[in-house]
Amino acid sequence: MSISDLPVLSALRTKMQWHQERQRILSENVANSDTPNFKPRDLVEPKFDKTGAPVGTMGTLPMMQTSTSDIAPFGGGDSFDQNKRAGFETRPAGNAVSLEDEMTKSAANQMDYAAVTQLYSKSLQVIKIAIGKG
Amino acid sequence: MAEDSGDFARSMGIATSGLRAQAGRMRVISENIANADSTAPTAGGDPYRRKVPTFTSTLDRALDAQVVALGRIRPDQSDFRVKYEPGNPAADATGSVKYPNVNTLIEMTDMRDAQRSYEANLNIISATRAMIQRTLDILKS
Repeated sequence: MSISDLPVLSALRTKMQWHQERQRILSENVANSDTPNFKPRDLVEPKFDKTGAPVGTMGTLPMMQTSTSDIAPFGGGDSFDQNKRAGFETRPAGNAVSLEDEMTKSAANQMDYAAVTQLYSKSLQVIKIAIGKG
Repeated sequence: MAEDSGDFARSMGIATSGLRAQAGRMRVISENIANADSTAPTAGGDPYRRKVPTFTSTLDRALDAQVVALGRIRPDQSDFRVKYEPGNPAADATGSVKYPNVNTLIEMTDMRDAQRSYEANLNIISATRAMIQRTLDILKS
């Protein structure tokens, strides 16, 4: 059994990937905050069971390239569920991005990510203690 | 390719596209404000026409994300301000001079809007940078 098989670590890793992807989507929203007819997007937070595996659906299967000559898939490259309820007020230009909302989400995302990385390094420390190098 | 750049690098790239678009918008706004009183060089001619920046959301294949770009810069079709100044060299036969359809108050609010959007994109970059720093901190512990 390798270190990466530990339930805690795999769950934390999935959570870190989720935060990275969410940051990408939030920056997409902010960059397009003046684009007409742009609707902001967000991701649903993943839930984990006791073995550290994510519970429920994890979005659609991503499209893969089977050969280098294939056209790269674009648009729906997300491997996590999207939150369809994101955005509630639409401006006359059809843009529904609220900068205040996106800033709060970005700050929350950053803080949660810091917490997850902190937990990850703590878990690594625990393993180090167990193998007698703490 | 998308595989080569992580999500954080892509976040930075998307925010940078926002910075670039807002900087272009600032350029158009400053052009409008600078030319707020530019009358026609010839008598009875049309003065400077206000420019309107547009934004378009385009798919960046390298980043695999919806980045923003400054679209075509369109002319504002509203009417010019007309003043009665017979002595002005740009006046037409009836003595009225056409001034640009630039309202500096609107330009100022637009400028503030651009400034705020620029700051928002900068915030995203610094948040992403902080997150990258946290990842590197795992190695240090």
